[in-house]
This record gives sequence, C-alpha cells and structure tokens, in this order.
Amino acid sequence: MTRLACFYVPMFVLAARLRSEPDLLNEAVGIVEGNGSNAHIIAATRRARKKGIQPGQSLAQARSLLPKLIARGRDPECERTAQEALLEVAETFSPRVEDAGEGVVFLDVTGMERHFADDAPSDPDSQNSELRLARAALRACDAISLPARVGIAASKLAARVAAELPKSPTVVAPGEEATFLAPLPLTRLSPELEAAAMLHRFGLSSIGDLAKLPESEIASRLGEVGRELHWAARGIDPRPLMPRPLPPEFREGMELEWPLVALEPFLFIANAALDRLSKRMEIQGFACKRLEFTLTLDPEGYDARGIDLPAPTRDIKTMLTLMRLDLEKTPPGAPVVGFSFVAHPDRPRRAQLSLFGPSAVSPEKLASTIAKLVSILGDGRVGMPMTVDGHLPERYAINVFSPPPPPDMKRTPARARGLLAVRTFRPPIPIEVTTREAQGDDVQIASIRSIADSETPQPAPNSRNRIEAGAKVEIGSTVRICSGPWRIEEGWWSDRPDIREYWDVELDRGGVYRVFRGGAEWFVDARYEM
Amino acid sequence: MAVLARRLATQFQLLEAPKILKPASPPQFVESEAIRNLRATLEASIASKLTSGSELVRAVARQRRDEILPTTIPPLDALLGGGLARGKMTEIAGRGTRFSIVIATLAAATSIGEAAALIDASDSFDPQLAEAAGVDLRRLLWVRPQTMKETVTAAEMTGATGFQLVIIDMGSRRPPGRRVPDAAWVRLARVAESHGATILVSAPYALTGTTSEAMILAHAPRPRWLGRGNAPRVLAGIETRLKLEKHRRLRPGQTTTVFFQCEEAGCGGWGVGSGRTTVESSLSYSHTPLPTPHTRKAS
Repeated sequence: MTRLACFYVPMFVLAARLRSEPDLLNEAVGIVEGNGSNAHIIAATRRARKKGIQPGQSLAQARSLLPKLIARGRDPECERTAQEALLEVAETFSPRVEDAGEGVVFLDVTGMERHFADDAPSDPDSQNSELRLARAALRACDAISLPARVGIAASKLAARVAAELPKSPTVVAPGEEATFLAPLPLTRLSPELEAAAMLHRFGLSSIGDLAKLPESEIASRLGEVGRELHWAARGIDPRPLMPRPLPPEFREGMELEWPLVALEPFLFIANAALDRLSKRMEIQGFACKRLEFTLTLDPEGYDARGIDLPAPTRDIKTMLTLMRLDLEKTPPGAPVVGFSFVAHPDRPRRAQLSLFGPSAVSPEKLASTIAKLVSILGDGRVGMPMTVDGHLPERYAINVFSPPPPPDMKRTPARARGLLAVRTFRPPIPIEVTTREAQGDDVQIASIRSIADSETPQPAPNSRNRIEAGAKVEIGSTVRICSGPWRIEEGWWSDRPDIREYWDVELDRGGVYRVFRGGAEWFVDARYEM
Repeated sequence: MAVLARRLATQFQLLEAPKILKPASPPQFVESEAIRNLRATLEASIASKLTSGSELVRAVARQRRDEILPTTIPPLDALLGGGLARGKMTEIAGRGTRFSIVIATLAAATSIGEAAALIDASDSFDPQLAEAAGVDLRRLLWVRPQTMKETVTAAEMTGATGFQLVIIDMGSRRPPGRRVPDAAWVRLARVAESHGATILVSAPYALTGTTSEAMILAHAPRPRWLGRGNAPRVLAGIETRLKLEKHRRLRPGQTTTVFFQCEEAGCGGWGVGSGRTTVESSLSYSHTPLPTPHTRKAS
C-alpha cells in the first residue's frame, strides 16, 4: 500500500519571514498584507497573539492593541525560498516529492521506513519506523528554521489532515483513515462555503457523521462537491502524487525593509542568505559553480551580475569575498531594496588521499584559493599554462587549473635535461638596430637600443612612481657577438603572413637577448638569463 | 601627579626585561588503551610489528617532512645536501641562470605527480620551453602577479592550500610596488613549515633574510658560443657559478659551476626548436669545497 507523508508549515507566511530574520523570533511580529488603510494582519507570532492580535485585524486596530507591534510586509521572495528549502528537505527522505505550495509538501515514503527501523528484532511494527521517520523529518525541518508538522497516511487528504493536527508527528495506520477522520470536525475537510452551510443545516458536525450517510443521498443534494466530500470523509482520495522534477538551480533572496546604501550591511544580510543557500546545496550533495545575483534598486530597476567560480564550491567566505570585490569594482549606483541569489549547482570535486603517493590538493580548498587569486589578480592571470600549436615562440594559452590525481606510489624524478631557460618579454620591446653586412645576403646586428615610449609621462623625481619606472626594461649597447638569422613563417596562406627573422645577440654591456625583425620593425622578445 | 606616576609605573613595568618562557614541549603520541591491551595480549615479536592507522599516518607525514625535493641538477643538489628541504624556504639570488634552475625544479616536482605553483612576478614563463624541459603543465598553477604584495600573498595562499612546491620568481628586476615587510617572509616560512610545502624564492637580490633555510648565490654567468672569428656563431649555453651563502645544517662557502646548454647548434635554442633542443643533459660542474682551517693557515 502507498504511504504518503505531508510536511505542513503552519502560518507559512510568518515562518518564512522569521526564517530570513531570525532576530524577530521572540518579538511581537505581525505580517501585513495590503497598503494604507487596507493593510491587515494575516499572521502574527505567539507573543503578538497573546496580546490580542488576530489575523484579519487592520494594522491600525492591531497597533491600537499593541503599539510596539513589529509589522512586516508579505515577502514573496522569502516565501519562495522557504518553500524550496522545505522541498529540498523532503527530497532527502524520498525521491518522489510533490510541491503543494504555501508550506505544504507531499512525499511518497513507501518503503522508506525501513531506513528508520529499530535495530531490535522484537519490533516488527512498521508504524514505529514511520514514527521515527516523521521525527527525523521534524528535526530536518527545524535545522532549516521551519517549524513544520508531519503526518503520514495512505492518502494525500488523510496525510494533510494528520499533519495539520497540533500534536505532531501523527501516523495513521494503513486502512484506518476513516476511523482517524471520523471524530474530527468537518472544517478539517475544507468544504466550500455553500456546502459547509448546508451540512451545518443538516446537523452534521463531524466527519464521521457525514461518512455514515449514504453517498447517493449526499450527491443528490450537494452534487459533485458532495460526492467528493463524502469520499474524503471515508478517507478516499483518488488524487495521485505528482512528483516535481529536480530544480536546475537554487535560489535565495529577500526584500529589504529599508534601502541599503552601504556595502557592509548588505554583505551582512547576504552572508546569511549564502549560508542558507550553501546548506541547501549540501543537502543535495551539490556545490555552486556559478553564482548570479540580482539587486533590486530604489526607486526602480535591477542590477544583475554573475560570478563564475573556477571550481564548484560551497565555501561562503569565498563567495562573499568575490561578491564584495565585484560590488567594490562596480557599485550598483542606487540604494538596494532587495536581492536574489541564484546558484547553479554542480557536483563538487572529490579526491581520495593517498598513503604512499604525493598528497592531492583538496579540491574545495583549491577552488577557494583560485577564486580568491582571480579576484585579486584579475582574469587570465591564474591558471594552468598550455602550449598552442604554431611556430611563433611567444604563443601560449592559460586554462582552468584542474590537476589530475597524483600517482598511487612514490616516483623518483628523472634527471634534469639541463636546458637553458629564456625569460620572455610580454609584449616584445621595440628597438632600434644598426646593422652591418655579413656573408651572403645575411644581415648582422651591430648595436641595439630600446625605443623610449614618448607617450608615457616621466615620473617626478623622488616620487613613489619611480619604482614603476625602474621596472621598465631598457636595453642599449653595441653587439659583441651576433648569431643568426633564423627565419620563421606562419600563416603563409593568409593575406598577412607572419614572417620573422631571429638573431641571438650578446651585448658588450652584458646579457644575451633574442631579437627579431617583423616587417620593418625590430623587437627584443626574450633574454637568455644572465 | 599621582595619576601621572601611576601611568609611568605602568610604562616601566612594560620596560622590564621580559620573562623568557620555556618552549612548549612537542606533543607526545599517546598510545590508546585498546592498542595497548591488544599489544599486551600478543607475542612480543608480533606486537612490535603491529602499527595502528594513526601511527602509520603520523609516520608517513613525518617521513614526508624529513624528505627533500631534488632539483635534479646534481651539482646544486650536492651543494644543498640532496635538494630543497620540504617544509622550508630556500632562496636563490643573483644574476646567474636562476630561471633554468626554477624550470628544472618544476620539472622534478611535477614529474613525480606533485602539484606546483609558479608565482611568476615578471610574467616571463614560457610554457613551450617548460614542456620541453619536462614540466607536466597539467600539475602547474601559473600565477602572474603584478606587485610585490600580490606576489607574497599569492605564495602564501598557494602554500596554505596544499601545493607541495611553491616557487616565487621575481625576474631580473624588482617588480613594481612597495617593498614587503620582513614579517611577510616570516609568515611565508611558517606556511611552509605548517603545510610541509617546499618554497623556492628566486630573486636578483636576497629578499628572505634569516627566514630561509638556505641561500644560494648564482653569479658570474658566462655565455659560451660555438664558432670563432668570422665564422657563423651559435649560442652553446651559459655557465654559472653557484655558491652556498647560507645553510642551517651545512657549512656555507662551497661553490660549484653549472652549465645550461642550448643544444641543437643550428637553432640557438629557441624558435622552431625553441628551447626543445636539449636532448640529454649536459650538465658539467667543478666542485670546490670550502678550504679547511688547516689549508687556510697553510696558504
């Protein structure tokens, strides 16, 4: 027999708001819907209710009863994220989960109770296992700051009614749905107003009273609505569970009560939202690969941004640092009154530690470090170097650093190849050259001198910028030994092929350089280290 | 006056000689009761061979710390007592062929499967040449900072992440930006110590001061050319003298000569065969040990 569980969050609107603002948990808070004189209370905390605040009161009435009442508007963003969080908790108990909206989730727990069975063989009762499952679900909901109630039954209706009862969790034994529903008032079935009034005129007050009457008699008087109510009263619910597909992204967001103009308060709130986002991804075994955030600006407009993470991570500090750097670089330009974070999930990288080989770098730490380095140094300055096909010596590419796993056993390094390294100049330094004739048609270089960039302003003496000027490479001397030329031609098939001639030159002042001529211009592109 | 006197008294207290605290003793491994009981029940010969998982992990970690990372340049390894010490910072300074040593060390580390980070402050790394020298580029993180502060920060971050080898190459000139405080090098040495990383600093002049384990001076580079007179010339390589300026465990002052060559005489070691020219090692060196006090006296 199918067993369905229902997670129900009473006063969901209020619960969602308190989840985003946990500081208000012990305060007298009322959630308000509508504007101006139409503003009315739709939910209130226990402390406010004790003072007489009830749903349906206007805000003015509520304030007259409790002047210190904290009023908060209904926040669809908070409610949506709270609902998603509830769904994700449900998905940790069953792969088949239905989103019924407004703090209600149904899930198929058929056979899942075996995971919560008692170790003692003397307990064959599956109802106890279901009770343990329900208690575990309550704990999981508490962990995401949602005070949920749980009911388990054979039909969606019975499970929903069981979850709505104040004593939670409630497990209805298989086949006992009608017995369970019988003593409960008819309002638990949420009949339509007209039907409810008619049933009241009939003198029916409990579900059991309705179930005892003949189905045809009720149907003849109330029509199709009456027939459905009679089925419900007998515990029959033909509606199947409609599982939802897995979400492609995780969202968190909030509308702020007042516009924020400074970065620090925004990051403080963003930290809490990212923390919730990270926990939700952790439940599903995901990590964030791309974080998109949209800021709602005051009085109107949006600012949408995206951060690509070098590797999937759940590290809040890293994401917050990247967000800070992005906002510092390009501020939104208007006060922020709301935000929405969207995390695109991916499977985190896993690595197994080796006892005998070199230890692998932790993928999570590596992702965080690379993300921080990219944010400090800029794009294209951190990564794995790559060779590129071609003939020009300055060619290179940089890619995402993703090292292969280290070998299982320790290796011995091979002997060095004794190769002389060159230091590449990026970009090549333009030079003036005097040449002399050599054997044949070849040209030999007699002297070189770097061309001063006249557009660069000269720093004032004793200024701090002198350090910058000191870093500029200046080359100039007569050539002692010249070797070359060697010719390179690339892209001969194109309109503008790259034809170069290269020389190695040793200068009288010291240093061996690599010089090339491309067209009519001369450059130094590397230095043999000395 | 009383208030002033009290203030002064507080200051004088601060000026008193600080009490030297005894250094904390290293943590001792405590054998768990379960293992003790198990060993007690076994025969002595078997019990001596019994090793718990935590003991094995500790032993492996200790062994890794004691290991050295060879640069695979025999003269340099001989000078450093086997290679670069793990968990320590080593510095190479001077105008010699430092970058060739850096590339050889990267090749040594990545070829045995270790992750390496090159903090290339001068942005002069050539991936073609490195690959030809035996560097496994998949295991190399290339970081190109633009200032001194970024350079040290990047080195500290990569060292703390778990890279087994972190190399800072400052290029031929000092990178732009203010001089970093000495405390930064102390911090970097601590990162190496705590994470077991090997840090190699290559700079035109000494930077790390007392924080490094060893300091090599690479100086007197001398290019060698093939061909004489008016005949066409080809760069054969560059010879450099290396001198052990400082070492915490070895006696400094020893010198050696290393020759890095651009083989393939037709190409000069670049271009079409850019740097991929050396087919086999042609390292040659002459080792000059420090004269003993006796020989000094005699001379």
